[in-house]
Amino acid sequence: MRAVPGKLFLWRRRIAIAARLTAAFGGGYVCTAALVGSGALLLTLLGGLPRSEAVTLSAMLGFVLYLLLLIWSFTEPKLWRVCALPLAGVLLGTALNYWLAPALTARTLVGY
Amino acid sequence: MDWLHTWAGVLLGGLLLAVFWTGTLSVFDREIDRWMQPGTRLAEPPAVFSLDRLVLPHAKQVAAGAPVWDITLPTARMPAIQLDYHDPQLGRTRRFIDPRSGDLIPEQGSWGATRFIFPFHFSLHLGWRSIGYWLVGLAGMGMLMLVVSGVVAHRKLFKEFFTFRPRKRLQRSTLDLHNLCGVLALPFHVMISLSGLIIFFLIYFPSATDSLYPEGKQQFQLEALGVYSRLRADEAAPIASLDSMRRQAVEMWADRGPSAEPYMLRVWHPGDRHAYVEVRRSFAREMTMNVDRLIFDGASGALLHQHRTAPITGVQRFFTGLHFIQYDHWTLRWLYFAGGLCGCVMIITGLLFWIGARRERHARRGLLGARLVESLSVASSTGLILATLAFFIANRVLPMPGDNSRAALEGSAFFLVWLLALMHGAIRSKQAWGDQLWAIVAFACSAVALNWLSTGDHLLRSLNAGMWAVAGMDLMLLVLAGMSALVARRISQAEPQTPRLRQGYKHGEF
Repeated sequence: MRAVPGKLFLWRRRIAIAARLTAAFGGGYVCTAALVGSGALLLTLLGGLPRSEAVTLSAMLGFVLYLLLLIWSFTEPKLWRVCALPLAGVLLGTALNYWLAPALTARTLVGY
Repeated sequence: MDWLHTWAGVLLGGLLLAVFWTGTLSVFDREIDRWMQPGTRLAEPPAVFSLDRLVLPHAKQVAAGAPVWDITLPTARMPAIQLDYHDPQLGRTRRFIDPRSGDLIPEQGSWGATRFIFPFHFSLHLGWRSIGYWLVGLAGMGMLMLVVSGVVAHRKLFKEFFTFRPRKRLQRSTLDLHNLCGVLALPFHVMISLSGLIIFFLIYFPSATDSLYPEGKQQFQLEALGVYSRLRADEAAPIASLDSMRRQAVEMWADRGPSAEPYMLRVWHPGDRHAYVEVRRSFAREMTMNVDRLIFDGASGALLHQHRTAPITGVQRFFTGLHFIQYDHWTLRWLYFAGGLCGCVMIITGLLFWIGARRERHARRGLLGARLVESLSVASSTGLILATLAFFIANRVLPMPGDNSRAALEGSAFFLVWLLALMHGAIRSKQAWGDQLWAIVAFACSAVALNWLSTGDHLLRSLNAGMWAVAGMDLMLLVLAGMSALVARRISQAEPQTPRLRQGYKHGEF
């Protein structure tokens, strides 16, 4: 006979699941979107791709990245990691955007 | 992974079914159009015809003030010339022109599959803030996740794949069918979900263009898709020959293969001095839906701009083509249809298995879960099929020379019957399956009968005359009726037998 779980335990479990879902779907999406944006920038600046091609490639890879993030979020046992990784991704993506965008503008101005 | 598979399936199952069912029908959207728009049941179009002579006079008459004319050339699947434009009163309007006689075919009063079922597939007809697109995108990501978690949850995939026991207990057979369909079409399901998402990458990842295109998305579309634009001059000028533009296009695309030819011409600002014509290259014989375009000056006919698909855009358009299956390949088209149906069966059997394992337990404990999921599942499977059939029946029943609200009425019939099916499912619960399956039999047979009565094209005649679209549609409706009758009988037989079979079964519930 299994022990009946207490109310507190049940609620903690529910909150943990809600947090995981939010981190996986919401956090994963925001993180992917940030990395897709900065990825397109990197592909143009470092990869030398025309910007329309960079945007398309980066966005297509975004779907794969998002899927991997989602699956990982539901297999990783530690909840804090599931929350921390997307946060790190968003920070990285935003930072890259912040640093690289001026470089792109400069290059556009001198016409390569 | 098991709980992820279970819960993602239960939460997204209904939505996924709607997307899969309408997507499966969209594989044959042109054929459904012929059935629903009897005026366009024409023989294969002639090889040579003149747009200047056949289309321009009609366009100038019916769409004089329209900002854009879309002229789609006829094919074997769509034997009439199609003219799309925006009418100030009627909104988006589509007219057909017979490529042999040049007659304007009377208004068909129906959106058909291309303008109702197909857009439902990706937008759910929820226009507000493109919420439909986002829901379908969520379903697409969910589907990919379900496939991956399903492979993990069903560890003995290979063994399960070869295990199908249709005569065992209903619950057992349901799971076997779920595994069979899931594994059989696994590569198709991955491909179709991923490519579906990739089509709308700009909607799903607006951030992609944010940093690289501070001037806005239009610039991206100009660079990636060759979308050219120029303002009106507000001075009248006659339009140059469209036929000569077509000829020039074929010459210019000679290096793209012997069958490189236009499939569509878009005339911007017709009648204006700044009119321009966008000529798009056909992808009837290639997977990639290329974005090769030529822009001609509308007044002089001179080439203004040309665009060729860049490599990575080509990859994106390859995925698009993989999803849309608009190229000429009948075997593949049927396989897509089968793959889509496999998806529908897989989703509904998954839901049924979940419900079957909980129905009695939840009822005993007074929980709503199984009952709620059951009525939603009824609505999203048999209910959706009934709604689709109601759409077809309305198409044959509503008076023909109708005004412009006729097409919208067909759409209302779809949503009304869907709503009724949901209510019926909520009231009748488990009994609703049988009721609705028999209703499908009745609806599908009456659709076939109504097609005969209203157009005279019964099955023998359409088969004899080689009207494959009409014959195929009627045959598929009859197959649907037959299958529904079989399933209805199987589930009604299963009920009294359940206790007897259960005695020899070790796990009553798993």
